[in-house]
Amino acid sequence: MLQIKPILVALKRHKAGTLLIALQIALTLAIVCNALFIIQQRLDRIARPTGLDETNLLTIQNRWVGVDDEKTGSLVRADVQAIRELPGVEDAISINSYPLRGGGWLTGVRTNPDAKKSETHTTQYFVDDHALATMGVKLVAGRNFRSDEITEIDPKAVVSAPQIIVTKTLADKLFPDGSALGKVVYVDDGTQPSTIIGIVERLGGPWNSTWSDTFLDNAVLEPYQLTGGGTSYMIRSKPGQLAAVTRSVPEALYKLNRMRVIPSERGVRTYDVVRSQAYKSDRGMAILMGVVCLVLLGITAAGIVGLTSFWVGQRRKQIGVRRALGATQRDILSYFLTENLLIGIGGVVVGALLAIGMNLWLVTQFEMARLSLLYVLAGVVALLLLGQGAVLAPAMRASRVPPVEATRSV
Amino acid sequence: MLKMTHLSKVYRTEVVETYALRDFNINVNEGEFVAVTGPSGSGKTTFLTIAGLLETFTGGQYHLDGVEVSNLNDNERSRIRNEKIGFIFQAFNLIPDLNVFDNVEVPLRYRGMKAAERKERIMNALERVGLASRAKHYPAELSGGQQQRVAIARALAGSPRLLLADEPTGNLDTQMARGVMELLEEIHREGATIVMVTHDPELAARAQRNVHIIDGQVVDLAEDPRFHHAVTSARANTTA
Amino acid sequence: MMFAYYFQLGLRSLRKNPLLTALMVMAIGCGVAASMTTYSVFRATSNNPIPGKSSQLYVPLIDNWGPEDAAQNKGEPPDAMSYTDAMALMRDHRARRQTALYPVAPSVIPADASMLPVRESSYAVYADAFPMFDVPFLYGGGWQASDDAAHAPVVVIGRALNDKLFRGVNSVGREINLDGRNYRITGVMDTWDPQPLFFDPVNTSGFGDPVQLFIPFTRAIDLKMATNGNNNCNKHSGEGWDAWIRSDCVWIEYWAELPSVAEANAFRQYLHGYAAEQQRSGRFTWAPNVRLYDVPQWLEHEKVVPQEAKVSLLVSLGFLLICLVNTVGLLLAKFMRRAPEIGVRRALGASRKEIYAQFLIEAGTVGLVGGVVGLLLTGVGVFGVTLVFDPDIARLATLNGSLIALTLLVAVLATVLAAFYPTWRAAQVQPAWQLKSN
Repeated sequence: MLQIKPILVALKRHKAGTLLIALQIALTLAIVCNALFIIQQRLDRIARPTGLDETNLLTIQNRWVGVDDEKTGSLVRADVQAIRELPGVEDAISINSYPLRGGGWLTGVRTNPDAKKSETHTTQYFVDDHALATMGVKLVAGRNFRSDEITEIDPKAVVSAPQIIVTKTLADKLFPDGSALGKVVYVDDGTQPSTIIGIVERLGGPWNSTWSDTFLDNAVLEPYQLTGGGTSYMIRSKPGQLAAVTRSVPEALYKLNRMRVIPSERGVRTYDVVRSQAYKSDRGMAILMGVVCLVLLGITAAGIVGLTSFWVGQRRKQIGVRRALGATQRDILSYFLTENLLIGIGGVVVGALLAIGMNLWLVTQFEMARLSLLYVLAGVVALLLLGQGAVLAPAMRASRVPPVEATRSV
Repeated sequence: MLKMTHLSKVYRTEVVETYALRDFNINVNEGEFVAVTGPSGSGKTTFLTIAGLLETFTGGQYHLDGVEVSNLNDNERSRIRNEKIGFIFQAFNLIPDLNVFDNVEVPLRYRGMKAAERKERIMNALERVGLASRAKHYPAELSGGQQQRVAIARALAGSPRLLLADEPTGNLDTQMARGVMELLEEIHREGATIVMVTHDPELAARAQRNVHIIDGQVVDLAEDPRFHHAVTSARANTTA
Repeated sequence: MMFAYYFQLGLRSLRKNPLLTALMVMAIGCGVAASMTTYSVFRATSNNPIPGKSSQLYVPLIDNWGPEDAAQNKGEPPDAMSYTDAMALMRDHRARRQTALYPVAPSVIPADASMLPVRESSYAVYADAFPMFDVPFLYGGGWQASDDAAHAPVVVIGRALNDKLFRGVNSVGREINLDGRNYRITGVMDTWDPQPLFFDPVNTSGFGDPVQLFIPFTRAIDLKMATNGNNNCNKHSGEGWDAWIRSDCVWIEYWAELPSVAEANAFRQYLHGYAAEQQRSGRFTWAPNVRLYDVPQWLEHEKVVPQEAKVSLLVSLGFLLICLVNTVGLLLAKFMRRAPEIGVRRALGASRKEIYAQFLIEAGTVGLVGGVVGLLLTGVGVFGVTLVFDPDIARLATLNGSLIALTLLVAVLATVLAAFYPTWRAAQVQPAWQLKSN
């Protein structure tokens, strides 16, 4: 560290190389910070629980062919009955949508029917009394639906049911004091009162894009079975039977009634597939940013190795002279390490500002959160270490320059 | 052929001005073989680089082949170097990445010569220095003397009128040095003008005329008692 | 001639410092590949799907929900229309051509009883849609306006569906069964796959499988076919189909063909007048809030280019920039290491210009090799695009001729650009200093 001043003087004579390395470190820091941040955001999204017990869960999309919408009720009942009786099936339901499916019902909720605006948004799931068991959702207060509460209804005629089950998140949002159970709310922008008869621990919405983040875990379960052209089935298999059930259920359905379409794509999906398809772009983005970060760090390190090697080559004679004048190998090594550290510090200072600036710009352009300073700090440390690591090999080579080099011409 | 009058060259740094050449006068005639001698730091290499248009000068005049060169631009200077001047350096200065043939070819390329003519000239030049069989070798595969002969072939290939040599034998042992020197003399006999910088009095004595530089100025050795003895002893050596 | 010489020298120099060369080539290759891969996605998603007519086709929007709801969407009207407004505009018929449209989900029941019913991407449209959207036909054509008026059971099918059902023969005039009802085929479309799917980004997010089935809008309404896309309501629509149709729920896309600026302006006036009329009649309690977007504006409004495509393109451009800074440094090292050679060349008659030419061409050679490596990596990258993007989008990102040319061009240009400073430094080398035998 005693050598800082002479190093600075030497650097002044290599302005171009110094600036190039510092610039590269700065730009790398800016991009790596933001990329790491994007990765973390995406991983956070992917890790969000749905509230479902996702193992042993199968989903099927079904659409009726050539049947009037009003007459599908009995067909669905027959399907569900048939599925529940299949070997390997634990339980099954017909439902309008499910977490991470991609499309579903969204509506407003309010506690006061005269309020002009709803207090929050929520998704609606129309289910029967088997839903909690099939989905593996945990009831934390109140009770499940009774089978006599389930009614069949035309989707165009839905008004909120007299009894509903809500998620804890929604309950707490509407009744922050925790008194939601037994209270009356108004769902579906209507004036029909619905009493909260049960609260489940967690149940996610069908969407996974950022626009739904504010009401992600708001869900209302209503004791309805919708008629209409299409429906989703959720099936819980007995442990270890998922693969068999995935084959047997569609077969059984076609055997029961051929006049249906189960799409070849996304028609039959285990919940693992549902989840991975829903978060495909998030996971892909994380992987892409990860690859970019790695390659970028590699290239920056390689650049530092390349330029430092060139400097060492240029200064062999100088190094020889220093050695002849009594510098130890350690002195030479620490000279190059310190030099790189000084350049690195210059680079990361500029880079940290760039990283924050870039993030602020991204925030205005895209729906992105503010960069946590922790990432900048981590990036700074990482790049300084990277620089030191990269410079080590050329610096070692420099330290091995023999003193006799001083006497050589050219 | 080469005429410098009141020429000066000043190197400026932030702190000092150093005169490398001061009121420097020299006249080399067509077909002459002149040796320029002087102690190290006297300015003889500076003289050579200015003569070869590798460097500009600060004041005075320099006529090369009748042309005043101080107002020429980079392109024109490059053209003159390429067509009229051949260089031979102490360190040979062959391009290590190119083989013998390609090294000799460099100046011909810049002259924009057709491939067939280039090849003929290159082979002729290599023939003259006795290295035609080594055309595909790389400089690192040759001895010092061979390398210098390649450098001479390179200088000769373009048929320059003026050959500038800077300590051409400085990096060679006596045996090789003699061969190189004989080659230069042969080239001179064929009509080229040669200016050779050397600190070796024995070598200098083999030239037609000696010019001595001290502190950036040409001095007449005969009139300077300080060097009288050295010169006479050098002459004695050559006659011996 | 000198170009060939310098190119040859450049190639030779690549072999000279293999490590340094490899570093540069990899840096350029990675940078270019990342940029080109993400650009291929960006290009596909920001493509103009109907270049000849993109400034003649317009989407009108009418605010039928009022300022309170619009405020949640930066003052924009809903991005679809209610049945009431769509029908009013169709009746007024103010554009050269117009169509209301919405996605439907009929199932095709094959005549061959051994085949299972299938569902294809289907839309309910008016007859004008076919000439408006430049739909190409293999056989026959669209139906007539009289079919719209008659609510006729007619259908236009896609080439793929025709291949499936009729083994590719001309099926015009034959019938197909949709949900148990027969429809007469008036035309078979040739392959038609505009990307983005400009006429319905609201329900497809801009990308999806090619449409294989069109039926008359009027017929679909008669059969009470609900939309297979989004249905947005700002209040409860009431019970049943009729209440829904009369409600302010929005679920219809509307398109108008307005070939001249004057016609577009006139239509805008008309829209404003229509909304003002609704206000006068008491249906709207707010001032007219209408929009008229052409195709590019509409795709922009619907944010068809995915956020991932933009962010990753930006990040890769930053990546390329860093690779170039890196290349500047490495080229500087490579060139300055050859200062003695430069000195010799200068002494032997090379002018500064020739030094420039030699080193820029040498850099171009490095760039070219980097471009070839970049091309291979872009191939890998385009393949890897399926990781990040929807299959619907990923299939659009392809390594075609223009992308190959662009990859090489960007690699060479970028490297030559990066070489300017190192080359300038090389040309500044003082021959006299290099040649002095110290």
